[in-house]
Amino acid sequence: MFTLIKREIEDHIAYFIGAVILSGILIALSTLLAFHNYDSPNAPVLSIGLWIPAIIVLMIGLPGMGVSQMYTDRNRRISAFLSTLPVTRSRILAARIITGILAILTFLVPLTITAMILLRIFAPAGSIYSIYFSIYSSFIFDIFWAVFLMSFACYCLGLQTGWTSSRITPTLGGMALTFVLVPLIFVKGFGLHIVVILLLFIIASLTRTWHRFTSTSL
Amino acid sequence: MDENVIRVENLVKYFDGRCVLDGINLKVPQGCIYGLLGRNAAGKTTIIRILLGLEPPTRGQTFLLGAESMNLSATVHGQIGYVAEGHNLIQNYKVGRLVKLCKALSPQWNDEFFNHLTETFRLPMGRKVRELSIGMRAKLNLSLAMAIEPELLILDDPTLGLDTVARRQFLELAIDVIQKQGRTILFSSHILGDVERIADRIGIIAAGKLVVDCGLEELKERVKKLRLIFPESVPANLYLTEIINQQSEGREMVITVVNWNQQKQALIDVFKPSSCTEIPMSLEDIFIECTKPEPMPITS
Repeated sequence: MFTLIKREIEDHIAYFIGAVILSGILIALSTLLAFHNYDSPNAPVLSIGLWIPAIIVLMIGLPGMGVSQMYTDRNRRISAFLSTLPVTRSRILAARIITGILAILTFLVPLTITAMILLRIFAPAGSIYSIYFSIYSSFIFDIFWAVFLMSFACYCLGLQTGWTSSRITPTLGGMALTFVLVPLIFVKGFGLHIVVILLLFIIASLTRTWHRFTSTSL
Repeated sequence: MDENVIRVENLVKYFDGRCVLDGINLKVPQGCIYGLLGRNAAGKTTIIRILLGLEPPTRGQTFLLGAESMNLSATVHGQIGYVAEGHNLIQNYKVGRLVKLCKALSPQWNDEFFNHLTETFRLPMGRKVRELSIGMRAKLNLSLAMAIEPELLILDDPTLGLDTVARRQFLELAIDVIQKQGRTILFSSHILGDVERIADRIGIIAAGKLVVDCGLEELKERVKKLRLIFPESVPANLYLTEIINQQSEGREMVITVVNWNQQKQALIDVFKPSSCTEIPMSLEDIFIECTKPEPMPITS
């Protein structure tokens, strides 16, 4: 399994580099914003201004990664070769999904850690602001899960629509569904209900992908 | 485990409403070298792909090493070496990277044997697979399939694109594998001479059916081509059963008969031919006769 994951990462290294760059830009801008504008009334607007382009990049990049993995596999017949080695189709797909999760975590984990560090800096233990730490840390945790699941759902859409020899279907289908999916967070907000909705969506999408990938001709 | 390494039961496959395989039944015992023959688009590659679980069947079941083809475990896959028609390798990889990947995924990888093969075939490790010639790709694919020391080796037209020397090298390698006791080979090829040289059992697919499935020697024994010369014209009422080809001109008649036996000989003798000579048939001749429209089934 490790070999398959390594192969997927090497073949799609551009997405990992993209995730590191995007995460790095967001960390730098968030830190600057935190230190220079934390008491400004415009701070929330500036934060949203930071996140919206990042989410748009995620909405395009993650389905793109899923599509790229499946589309190149189908058209270069990579799984047709791999499945003649001591590997099953389920393992190939599992390695692919784990690679997608790793790409999302490459983007999200450094951001979350930065947010926690900034929160600790601005609400140090023992200070009068320390009460905010517990409130905002659970908020950051909710955001992490919601953005992780949203990103993963977008990625799963890419996997599902990418298994085709047509270029138009995965591009348009994936994008259309992603643009329906992401506003859900803005409508429903962060919390348990959005987690449940996204989880159900992910399970349905992965089941469909797994069924197609394991039963179709390679 | 089942003594039959390959088992195909009533296999039917349709592509876009067109029947490619129509109720194929086949058993290949352990240690057998099975030559699968057929004309272009006869369904040889389809059978092999279904056996390997790369293509789902429309109906019927196939088993490799006792496991159902669509549910082959990684362990079973590790016992099967496969050389695909057209040498389906990851084209954008360098040869070295592809070898590294196969080695990492194969628990039974024989490094020493693989190095011997790369030296024999002079495989360029630093070049991309897509930059290799068809012959080089064939050699690479063959080396990868051989290096896992497979229990079952499936070769789908492996010598396609190879020059005479490389073909000879390949056949010698195949014979080397055969000599290791218990190894089974399923071998599909257009070069009938190669099949004749190594196969001990033959299957011929025509019109979606397995029309021949018997030992090579038995096949040659059972299919006879005779030249009959009669004192006058060819008798109109010479009714022999199981004739797969018949040509008459003047006093001469050439017939190809399946299941040649003494009864058939006696029936011909009734018409008192002035001479009855057997024309020797190669596997190629038999193949041509068996793949004509409405072929006669020959199974043991």
